[in-house]
Amino acid sequence: MRKVAMVGAGMTQFGELFGLGIKDMLPMALTEAVDSVDKGFNRHDIQAAWFGEIVATDGFASGILADTCGLLDIPVSRLENACATGNDAIRHGVMAVASGYYDVVLVMGADKVRETSTRSTFWDWMSQTRDMAWDFPLGLVAPANFALHAARYLHESPATREHLAMVAVKNHHHGVTNPKAQMRFEITIEQVLNAPMVCEPFGLYDCTPQSDGAASVILVSEDIVDRYTDRPVWVHGFGLGMDRVMHQHKPDMTTFPPTVRAAKQAYAMAGIGPADVDVAEVHDCFTGVELINYEDLGFCDKFDAYKLVEAGETSVGGRIPVNPSGGLKAKGHPPGATGVAQCFELFEQLRGHSTNQVDGARIALAHNIGGPTAVSAITILGADKP
Amino acid sequence: MIQAIGTYLPPWGAAARREQGIDEDTVTMAVAAGLLALSGSDAGAVSSVVLVTHDLPLLEGGNSAALLGGLGLDDTVEVREQIGGAPAALSAVLSAAPGTLVIGADLGPGAGAAAALVGERGLELTKSGRINRSMPVATRDDHGAQSDYADPRLLRERGLGVSLERLGFDGKASVVAGLTGKDAASLTMGDAPQLPTTGASSALFALAALADRRDGGRILAVEQANVVAADLGGGSVTVNRDEVEARPAPKVRPIPGSDLNISLAAYERAFDAKLRLEAAKCTNCGTLSYPHRYRCLVCGSEAPTDTVDLPRDAEIYTQATIHVPVPGLSVPYTVVLAELGDTGVRTLVRLTGAAAGSTSIGDRGRMVFRRVAIRSGVPDYGYAFYPSVKAEVAA
Repeated sequence: MRKVAMVGAGMTQFGELFGLGIKDMLPMALTEAVDSVDKGFNRHDIQAAWFGEIVATDGFASGILADTCGLLDIPVSRLENACATGNDAIRHGVMAVASGYYDVVLVMGADKVRETSTRSTFWDWMSQTRDMAWDFPLGLVAPANFALHAARYLHESPATREHLAMVAVKNHHHGVTNPKAQMRFEITIEQVLNAPMVCEPFGLYDCTPQSDGAASVILVSEDIVDRYTDRPVWVHGFGLGMDRVMHQHKPDMTTFPPTVRAAKQAYAMAGIGPADVDVAEVHDCFTGVELINYEDLGFCDKFDAYKLVEAGETSVGGRIPVNPSGGLKAKGHPPGATGVAQCFELFEQLRGHSTNQVDGARIALAHNIGGPTAVSAITILGADKP
Repeated sequence: MIQAIGTYLPPWGAAARREQGIDEDTVTMAVAAGLLALSGSDAGAVSSVVLVTHDLPLLEGGNSAALLGGLGLDDTVEVREQIGGAPAALSAVLSAAPGTLVIGADLGPGAGAAAALVGERGLELTKSGRINRSMPVATRDDHGAQSDYADPRLLRERGLGVSLERLGFDGKASVVAGLTGKDAASLTMGDAPQLPTTGASSALFALAALADRRDGGRILAVEQANVVAADLGGGSVTVNRDEVEARPAPKVRPIPGSDLNISLAAYERAFDAKLRLEAAKCTNCGTLSYPHRYRCLVCGSEAPTDTVDLPRDAEIYTQATIHVPVPGLSVPYTVVLAELGDTGVRTLVRLTGAAAGSTSIGDRGRMVFRRVAIRSGVPDYGYAFYPSVKAEVAA
């Protein structure tokens, strides 16, 4: 297998982009990635593209990418893997280059959540979470899927709602300096705890906003990387983990087994362990999920996640900074784009350009969980060639 | 002979006039009462079920399969769904063959259900009169819209009064079903039991009240100018009641939105497991799966599975309470992942019988038959978690 390098990355602003359609966001994100390539990049070098989008907006997804980005002469495939779509799309792009089939591929992710009203989004996006006979009639909306985990986690671990609030406060703080972030303002623990309840134990500030956005990365083989840049970011490993789809069949709700499975694969491929990770972008669609991620990714022992956030170890400047971009919480969460945008942030981090730079970052990890809680995708990137 | 009686009152509303919960209808209340009448009896001994009500949820195709599923009776048992009030219900008991479960169910105000299992032994009940006369002061049109002629004196004098005269009744009854307040009091002796309903179930609530007294007596079942009278003889019967103290229904906010859609194909595949609370048992390793799976959770066997009943006692493993407006639903609501008995099987259900968010992980309760949702006009039945700490069943 060939080594695979990331030579360019771009993303739109995340937010309620009412003025932009999917047909605007895709070419914007691609052009930014093209412009980010150090030695210049001709988009007609791209030989194949993968497009992660969870809910198709304005019709046929891969066709819209090919059409709006001027890529009519290459194969484009749309990929959907719940909230793990972004990092799974990258995995497909990496495999295509590593295998030798293509030398240059494009991976994009996008979703247009705010194309529907805030209320109807619950049902429009329920296709991700429903068993038509069993779960759908209960009103198992997206926050409830994660709240069931968080409630049990708070019951068994020493963590409290205050610790969940600390995650929100940290990620909002990180997001302030990120010009792409949807929510660039500080919040306090009191604000989080006193916010209107969305889905117990999550209040308004425990939840990601509803976002539109697109992101893209350009992957090339080690053989031709010098044409494009002298400081590529290298793909060190990836993993994709699955689990039972119904909560009824998950014996331990204090963990996300898909993350554990994906991490095991990704760490093994990269030849590293969790202690080697300098910076991580993890899936914090709800605050409690970030705490569980710390444990599943091996950043701390079981039920010790509260200690990390309490001691500021996952803040920029701490031992293992998590979500320097602001995470889903503050940066926003257009699901198909999220994993790709995580890699955009880590691309910047590993090249030393992030607006919220982690000093000396050499190894970085991106993580998604979704499905609901039945799929996880992880990408491990490095500043050095593996 | 009446072999057993069960009564059910929803916990909501005023003591004398209950309201059904938002997840209840005549079928779920009929199941609640019917199960209490059947408790301790061999379900195989039931050959026929009669449901009397003015509020049948499904007029086409019927409610029999849901009713039998909730009652845990075989789907070959005969079901008769009958429109009617107190006289129809009392008549149904009087004419029932042994092995018949007669259930009356009424929506609120005055919601409730009661059931009597007719058998070879128990409490003796004999007909003492019946008359069918027309005084249609209350009517419904084809679409269920109700009209009221609003002349209670006419009804009293020329309706019920003439009917009782024709029956030759001049004394007072022990209890009268179908009337309330002064109307009931004028026909009964001073210590007559107060009944919580006035529809079909009231005749069976009357039966339960007199059975408890073990002192015989006469029941009058009345609806407009129709009357059925019956006398209690010797023998005794067990009355199982689920009549918890009434309390105000939790405040919920209905959120406008379109009806939840349904896949009837998915509904049909899940029907038995969902309404009968049946798990699949792997014939290779014994693992229980709920809902049923093609491939075993543990050993991967794809052989046909056995069907086993799941226990109804449950404990909350985890829960989530949704406060944010969800179109088409009423908020807040709580979903509970409940662990059933010591089987290790969990089921994801709604909380019922308690305000959303009032339960905690580890709380114990029982699984009860409820209408989970109405989808594309179809009542979607299944189970809900009823916490035991919130509702001690009255002795």
